Amino acid sequence: MSKIIKHNIILLGLIIAFWILSYTYNDWLCETMPRHQLIQLPSMILIGLILGKIFGNKIKLELQWSISILIIAAFSVVFWMIPRSIDLAVIHADFNRLMHVDMIITGFFIQSILKNTIPEVKITFLGMISSMTIATGIALTAFNLLLCSSFTIEQQKETGKLLIIIGILLYFFTLITFFRESNPSTKNQQLMLSQTDE
Amino acid sequence: MIQKIFIPIFILFFCLFILSKWTHNFTAFTVFSHTLESAGKLPRTMPDISLINQDGTPFHIKESNKYKMINFVYLNCPFVCHKVNNQLEQIYYNLTSNSLSTKIDFITISFDIKNDDIKKIKNYRKLFSDDISGWTFALLYQTSQKEFDFFLEKLGIWKYTIPRTGLINHSIYIFLVSPENNIIKVFDPARDTEQYIIQQINSCLKS
Repeated sequence: MSKIIKHNIILLGLIIAFWILSYTYNDWLCETMPRHQLIQLPSMILIGLILGKIFGNKIKLELQWSISILIIAAFSVVFWMIPRSIDLAVIHADFNRLMHVDMIITGFFIQSILKNTIPEVKITFLGMISSMTIATGIALTAFNLLLCSSFTIEQQKETGKLLIIIGILLYFFTLITFFRESNPSTKNQQLMLSQTDE
Repeated sequence: MIQKIFIPIFILFFCLFILSKWTHNFTAFTVFSHTLESAGKLPRTMPDISLINQDGTPFHIKESNKYKMINFVYLNCPFVCHKVNNQLEQIYYNLTSNSLSTKIDFITISFDIKNDDIKKIKNYRKLFSDDISGWTFALLYQTSQKEFDFFLEKLGIWKYTIPRTGLINHSIYIFLVSPENNIIKVFDPARDTEQYIIQQINSCLKS
């Protein structure tokens, strides 16, 4: 099977996944906080990451632009974690779809940029995202106040616990990336691969 | 070199600017606090609305020349509204035990235009003890949903009816209104203890 056909099939699959998550099951996913924050939102980032892996290979930016886009990506994630944003997304389907599109774009750029940037930026970004996820998880678990009017405190705490677990897993992924990137043999392999690509 | 550093720093500050605008300078992260902040700083004028009490007598909040403690509930609320009213009951009894009690009225207003009526609020009021003469339970009187929503927005109360269940998500703030019809304090029963609220009311009444 040629590469173009394979990519088109994956693209079609991603469009169907987006449609199912954003339209068909939107109401069900917006019913509880864990579904909205831990299924719908990460799924959109995942769609973006896959798109980035397929179509973002050629994006090679200068360091200052890579860092700038990663700052915007981190900001996007923070923005959609704010209780007010979550509430408005749950209440207004169009605002929710704006979140979906933003998360797909964020995922796309994270994948494309992290792949081609220096290890220091990669590790800093991953470390920051994992710390942010853990911090949000702790905040949601510790707060006895209802932060999102569309959900319940129980759902809030459940989301918090799961976010802590995800954050810890991300932290381990950051550590693995750190050791892999700091290993000279991996660096040489990557250098050889990039030269072969060119 | 300067340009290389400037671009990410500019982007960072731009993102922080948007975030600060979205959260009222990093003070309001929830829809409740954001709606309250958007209504304006304290003290501010209490918006007016036409109400009717449990005995069927129409009235306006601004007509009274006493301090007023105003909160919002709906009778079908599964939990929070009743918890807040129980807290308010404790505050009420604590205040009525001293001579300052004559200076303050309590008003509980129902959100639920469709389901709550005078009979229901009268029966609900009976669930509290007999001696709550200074505590009025009220409904909207000759007021449309649109006017009520505008009133709530001006007051700083978030309200949203979930279409699936009919439950009303809303802020639980309690407003202390002065005899001059200004909102002088806003209490959050989820954060503020009864002791704190009583202390704040007493200091206002004494002054």
